[in-house]
Formats: sequence, structure tokens, C-alpha cells
Amino acid sequence: MSSVLTSGIDNTYDTPGRRTPLVTGGHNYSAVTRMVSRISEEAQPTVWWIAMGIAVPLLIMFVSLIGHLFLTGVGVWGNMSPVFWAWPIVNFVFWVGIGHAGTLISAILFLFRQNWRTSINRAAEAMTIFAVVCAGTFPGIHVGRAWLAFWLTPYPSLNLWMWPQFRSPLLWDVFAVGTYASVSLVFWYMGMIPDLATFRDRSKTKWRRMIYGILCLGWSGSSRHWMRYEKAYAILAALATPLVLSVHTVVSFDFAVSQLPGWHTTIFPPYFVAGAIFSGFGMVLTLLIPVRAIYNLKDLITPRHLENMCKIILATGSMVGLAYITEFYMAWYSQNPNEYFTFVNRAFGPYWWAYWIMFTCNVISPQVFWFRIFRQNVILMWIVTIFVNIGMWFERFVITVTSLSRDFLPSSWGYFQPTWVDIGMLVGSFGLFTTLFCLFCKYLPIVAISEVKGVMSQHAHDEHRHEHGHSH
Amino acid sequence: MSDHKPEKKVKPPQAFGWMAEYDDENKFLDAARKVRDSGYTRTDAFAPFPVHGIDEALGIKPTVLPWFTLIAGACGTTTALVMECWMNGYSYPYIISGKPFISLPAFIPVAFELTVLFAAFTTVFAMLGLNGLPKFSNPVFSNPKFDRATDDRFFIWVDSRDKYFNSDKVKALLEGTSPLAVDEVREDDTSTDVPKALYFGILTLILASLIPAVLVWNMRSVRSDKSRWHVFFDMDFMPYRKAQKQTTIFADGRTQRPPVPGTVPRGGYAIDDPMYLGYTPDANTAMITPDSSSVVKLVSAQEGAAQEPKPQEPAPTTQEPTPPAQEPEKPAEKPAQEPTAEPAKQEPATTEPAKQEEPKPEPAKTEPAKTEVAQEPAKPEPPKSVPATPITPAPAAQVPAAQAPAAAAQQPPVAAATPAVPDRKYLEKLPEQFQANDEMFALGRKKFEQVCSACHGFAGYGNGLVSKRAEALQSSYWLQPTSVHDERLQKQPIGQVYYTITNGKGKMAGYGSTLNVKERWAVALYVKSLQRSQNAQATDLSN
Repeated sequence: MSSVLTSGIDNTYDTPGRRTPLVTGGHNYSAVTRMVSRISEEAQPTVWWIAMGIAVPLLIMFVSLIGHLFLTGVGVWGNMSPVFWAWPIVNFVFWVGIGHAGTLISAILFLFRQNWRTSINRAAEAMTIFAVVCAGTFPGIHVGRAWLAFWLTPYPSLNLWMWPQFRSPLLWDVFAVGTYASVSLVFWYMGMIPDLATFRDRSKTKWRRMIYGILCLGWSGSSRHWMRYEKAYAILAALATPLVLSVHTVVSFDFAVSQLPGWHTTIFPPYFVAGAIFSGFGMVLTLLIPVRAIYNLKDLITPRHLENMCKIILATGSMVGLAYITEFYMAWYSQNPNEYFTFVNRAFGPYWWAYWIMFTCNVISPQVFWFRIFRQNVILMWIVTIFVNIGMWFERFVITVTSLSRDFLPSSWGYFQPTWVDIGMLVGSFGLFTTLFCLFCKYLPIVAISEVKGVMSQHAHDEHRHEHGHSH
Repeated sequence: MSDHKPEKKVKPPQAFGWMAEYDDENKFLDAARKVRDSGYTRTDAFAPFPVHGIDEALGIKPTVLPWFTLIAGACGTTTALVMECWMNGYSYPYIISGKPFISLPAFIPVAFELTVLFAAFTTVFAMLGLNGLPKFSNPVFSNPKFDRATDDRFFIWVDSRDKYFNSDKVKALLEGTSPLAVDEVREDDTSTDVPKALYFGILTLILASLIPAVLVWNMRSVRSDKSRWHVFFDMDFMPYRKAQKQTTIFADGRTQRPPVPGTVPRGGYAIDDPMYLGYTPDANTAMITPDSSSVVKLVSAQEGAAQEPKPQEPAPTTQEPTPPAQEPEKPAEKPAQEPTAEPAKQEPATTEPAKQEEPKPEPAKTEPAKTEVAQEPAKPEPPKSVPATPITPAPAAQVPAAQAPAAAAQQPPVAAATPAVPDRKYLEKLPEQFQANDEMFALGRKKFEQVCSACHGFAGYGNGLVSKRAEALQSSYWLQPTSVHDERLQKQPIGQVYYTITNGKGKMAGYGSTLNVKERWAVALYVKSLQRSQNAQATDLSN
């Protein structure tokens, strides 16, 4: 909107005494409402159509490949002895990891009173949901007979009268990812209710008013409702915080509880969680940098927001790097020849290229965020986040495939070769993700309008009190 | 919770009240305090975001919502633990990775997840329930200005059902709080008409969504003559292995699988034990030295005989000297030289691991006793020996495998060469490890009927069901299985029967990898008994 006005303002410095505003450009409440609602109310820009034009065919390809898989069998993948967990699981862990940023921003940053989260949390939560949709697809189709995937749930079977095996990390995973997906969904939806009411009240057509009216459940903005709503939000944040950490911990148990060298390490849970936050913030930035440019949200998603996210990427990327090095150290320190071999083989064996892509993208590339220039130049930032995404995919590839391809029995060692279906499905999952995100941009409030206003209000409120003192 | 209830009852059509509009949250807060201080309780304040201090300003009591969360969380934990303990500990206990049936540490993750799941969903639904949502009709919505309550305006509302309500006084009070406007609100009584169509629509949708479930339930519960409707094929249409049919599963088209090349069955490693061989390796085995290479030789010999088409090529292989695959052109000369030159020359080749894979009879040459394929090329004695059966031409034609004919085509010249046949000393009796008792006989009968009778028939006349079927189909290349009552076979000692069962003969594959030693001897015993039963002598009755 008035980005011309704001271009000279640098809100990345905190001046002592008064907090710098989180919303720049001197907007009032109604301007914020317009800025966000406009995205849904006006025709979409060309870039949106181009994105959909690419994403929808990819989505169709993804669905077709799943159909091909169902009709033919899992042999269409490159999964072959000894690498039985290959790209589908790599993709699963990759997408689940990405799905961690949204709830982290909504929940953990909320508990830490990081008010800057309000501009980005909605988009990040949406990204979480869509990433979890992609993630959930892969183990679902990986079970072979996907139409029987409901066997994973403890339901009373009339024919078998059997129950799942609750001592297995794979079943914990079903519960963890299922809980995470559903709780994230209600969290996201609950957060949107007031903004959907805004959309309803701005509707020009009867149908639009009715649909958003149903979606917002008749939200009126009553202060009694707000009071319970805020309480519920805080409770959900408190519940979701350990949930976020548990999900990738449980995903890491899938690996760590097995006996395979390279998987069987206690460092996995924190290492996976750090990696998940790292990749999640990488993807949030990858999406938000174009979104704020396309929809002109630069006053809401300000350089300060981007800089904060860069700092988190730098921190978590360094944690991941520390984990890589620790793994090597432990392999040497344990004096376990199998363990030692596994890690040397990772870095210098047949998959050396994957290891060094991972190491370069995840550990070295985020280090540029030590320099202010990289935290402020959106183009450079965006390139680094792309590297982060690539690196994190390769991290899961390295963990999964290099360990499996050289297991205990040297006679069964092999080299994994993906098939065209493997590649098509990875690309297709991006089509699914992008399609969902584009639809989200078109139909739903991509910034938490009411929360941003709350942050603006606090500011105004503080000013007011400054002027008048405590009037009660 | 209780403080909200009144609002739900705002429903009565005549309900109305006064509403004041503000454009600044500070005025709004001040107004709320004034309204509260005036003693009104049926009030509400609407804002586009949660305004700090409004709870206190309007006198809103704290919510009971956290208790719902606590109780639901406890229910989640309990549900998960009870479910896990009951399912894995009592209803369906099984041992896995050495963990106890009820393994609390392993139950924690699911318990945690269900705690969060129950608590989170309850929190959201309790919040909505306490707020009385969804509620699509609200008197305040009838004021067109109210659309800005979700944008940038703040509203204070005083309900007419407040016990101190006095229309004029309320209006005056609100006007004294510097609002943008003060409006009277009446309930919109036109709204009830709209949903009718919606109700029908939703009802139709619900009913329509039940159709697939009803169809599935019907298909699952009703019996039908029609074949199953395959949504998913599961494993219903697999490339099955069918007798007398070529299979697409294996490259050679055969369904009966030979042992994996280069493997020795457990307990099957014996070089010179008559119990395993079926004959006494005396003179023939003179050359055997228990050196390290003997395993290799044994293995390659097994391959040559059991797995490859060789055993099925009767005459040619018997004289064995010439490896058919290797040198088909000059088969005749080889045999002659073999006894002398060959052993020395071929020895290195056999020990070479790479060569094991190939079905070469060379090893047999050097280690005559071990190989089923004949050794001793010099001895021409067709009738008695294993390989030299009269069925010579047949086998190749019978083998359904694509490659068999090709192999067969090469054989005739070899066959024409000197028919060398080993003169093995087959055992005339069961080996001493086994007794010809009822148990052995019963085992032999059982295995014969399971394994052999399909082709050979229950009585051994070579008229098993497979054979009958093939004849019924007028299969051109079908050759009836040998009758065990054939005079030639009657003369065979039990050791030779055992040998044939183990290594196969003609088109019959070896069953050395299917039946264990005892079973093979038992079947041999049963075959001998069958022969005797069909040609009983008067003297047999004496027993």
C-alpha cells in the first residue's frame, strides 16, 4: 500500500525507551483490514495464476502417480533390498519437518510473548497444515495397500479381533502425526474465526456473506467471546508447544529405536527437532518473501520480521551442524567399528555427494546470516532459504538411505536408484503444497488481522496511558 | 459460563437494546466503565480484537474453560493407558522385541499424544460452546453499522432485559460517552425464512453421503452369486504358478523351482555317505580327496544335476563328458579323451568360483562319485544306469520352458556318441539309519501321495491327474510319466529309486530339495512296496 512511504524506515533497530512499531507505514485498523481482505476480494495477480498453472498439473501428476502406485504396487518405486525406506519416507520426514514452523510460531513464540509473530503466524500455520497433508500422504501410500491404512488405528475389527502394537515407534508416529495434524488444524481454524468474520462483514455478495458467515460460526466480536477465545488460544498454545517438540521426537524414534548404525543414537530427538524448526523457518521465508512482495504486505511483514526469522534459521542451522559433528565425534569416541564405518561411509562413501550437499546447504549456507547485509537483502535471503530446503531434504536422504544401503550384511549392500515415479512424486507433492497454498491466499485471510490489530492497539494503548496516566 | 447464558436467550423477537459506536478503544473502555458503574449487567462490548482491560472495564468474570481442558486431558491420558494396557496386555498379547506386554515407557508417547488431542479439541469446542457458537442470528447484526465491529469500530450494547433497563436513561448514558452514534436495535424477525432451503440441502447432503456406506454395508452382508466387485485387487490376481502352465514369474518359465545355485541344504552336505547318495561310492570315488575344493565340486555337481536341464536330458548327459552348453559342435570326440586328459585339465576350472554358476558337468567328471550326472565316460552300459533311459527324445519336448527345446536340439549328436553309463553300486536295502517299519511306510505313502501321485498316480502307473489332464487336452508334447511298475523299474534297487527321486530323471525334476533324506528313503520304500503289491507272488502271502 504505502510502501513508498515506508521504504526509508528501518524498523530493525530497537531504540531504547520506545519500542519500534511492528506495523510500519502509519496504518490504522481499517487500513490493515483492507490490506489483508483486498487479497481475497480482488482478482488475483498474474503471478498467482502462473503459480497455479504450474502447481495444478503437478498435483494432477501426483494424484495420477498415486493411482499408478495403487494399481501396480510399490514396485514402481526404487525401494529395493536393502533400502526399503527410501524416498517416500525421506519425503515424509521432509514435509513433517517443514510443518513444524507454523505451530512453533503460533505456540512457542506466543508463550514467549514475541509479538512480531502476529504478522506471519497465519501463513505459517497454513503452511504447516499443507505440509502435514503432504507428509501424511507418503506413509499412507507407503504401507503398500493404502486402502487398508486404517488398520493402523486401534479399531475393533470384526474379522480379526487384533489390536495394533503400541510398543512400536511406528504406531507412536501414527498418533503423533495424527494428533499434530488435527490439533494444528483446529488451532489454525480457531485463529481464523475472527478474521473470517471480518471477511463476512466486508462481503458484497449474498453468497460470499453466507459462506464466510457459516465459516466464522456467527462470530460477533463480543468481549465475553474474546475473553474465552484468548484463554482457549493460550491453552492451545501451551498444549501445542510440547506437541510440536514431541512430533519430530517421535519421528526420530522411528529411526533411533531401531538397531541400525547411523540411526541408533540418542541425539536424534533434539537433532530432528532443531532440523525441523530450521527447515520450517526456511520454508516460511521461502513463501513469505514472494507473498509480501506480490500482495504488497511489506508494512505488515516488515524487514524486522524477516530478520528475526533469519536469526532463528542461523541458530537452528548451527544446532543442526553441531549435531552432525557430534555424531561423528560419538562414532569415533564409542570405538564401535560399525558405527564408525557408517559415518565415514556417509561422508566419504558412495553417497558422499549427498552428504556434502547436506552439509553445505544446512551448516555453511545459513552462516551468512551472521552478516547484516544478508538479513536485510530479501533476494539473498530467499536464495539461502532455498538452499536450506534442499539441504534438509538431503539430510533425510542421507540419514535414511546411506544407513540402510550399508547395513550389517555386506553381501546385501546396494546402491539406491530412484525411479521416475519417485522423482515424480516428490515434485508432485510440491504441486499439492503449492496448490493448497495458492487457494489459501485466494480464499482465506493470510495475515491474522485481529492479532495484528491487537499488537497495534497495545502500542496505541500504551501511548494513551502515557498521556493520561492511569485513569482507574 | 453463567454470565453468558443470558445472551443465548436474547432470542425472543421483541428483544432490543441500545448500541453505541466508538472509533477509539480508549473511549470505548471509558464507556464500558461508565456502563458498568451504572449497574447494568446485561451488557456487552464488541471489538475487532481483544481490547486490553475490557474484562475489568465491563465486569466480565473469568471463564471456567481451563477446567474443561484439565478434565479432558486427564481423560485422554487415562483412555490411552487403559486402551494400551488392555489391548496389548490382555486382549491381544504378543511378545515383541523382548518388551513386557504392559510396557509403560513404551506407552507414554501415545498417552501424551491422546492427552493433547483430547485437551485441545475439548478446549476449542468448550470455548465455542461457552460462547454459544455457532449462532448465526444475533440481534446486534441487524444494525448495518455493526459490520465494522470486525474492522475498526467498537460497540457497547445494553440489553433491554436488564433489570434496571430504562430506555431513555440508557440512551442518555451512552450519549454521554462521546460515541460516534447511539442506535436502538430491534431483532431482525425476517431471518428465519432463509435457512429452510438450507436445511433441505444439508439433509440431502447427509443422506447422499450415507449412500456409499449403505452400499458397502449391503455388499458386505448380502450373499450373491456374482463374483466379487474388485475395487482393489489386493492379491487376487497374481501370476500364480499352475501345473503344466508356463509361468511369467520366472525367466525360465518353469513353476517348479530348483534349489538356489551354490547352496547346500541344511544337513545335505555329504560326499560319500551312501545314505545321502543312494549308492556306495567305492571304486568310483577312489579319486576323492577330502580337500577344500570338494565343497565347490559338490555344489557345482548339484547345480548341474538338480537345477539345470541336464538331468532331463537322459542319454546325452549320462555320458556326461561333453558339456553340452559349452561345446556342442564336437561332442563325439570329447568323451574318448576324457578319462585321461580331462580331469587334470578341468580341475582348476571347477575350483574357480565364477564357474560354479554355469551348469557344467566337468566337476562331475573329476569327481565321479559325487555327481549324479554320470561319470566314467568309458563305460557303456545303457540299460541299468540312471541316465540312459529309453525316453531319450522326450524330455526336451516336455519341458515347457522356452529354453529347453534349444538345449534339446543340441543334444542328439551327443547322444549318438558312446553311451557311457556309470555303474554305481546302488544300495539294495534301506541304509542302516532307517528301518523298514510301519512308520517309515506311512511316511513314504504320505509323501508319495502328496508329491508324486499328481503325475505318477496313486498306484504308480503314471496316470496321475496331471497326466490325465494333459491327455485330455491332447497336449502334443506330453509324455506320460513313467510307471513304477515298468519292468525296468522293477529291477532297480531301492538305492536307484532313491537316487532318481533325489536327482530327478528325464523330465522329472529332482526332489532332493523338497523332501529330506528320510522322506526320500521312505518314498523309495513305498515305491518298492507298490511294485511288489502289483506283482505279488504266491510266496508273499506266507507272511
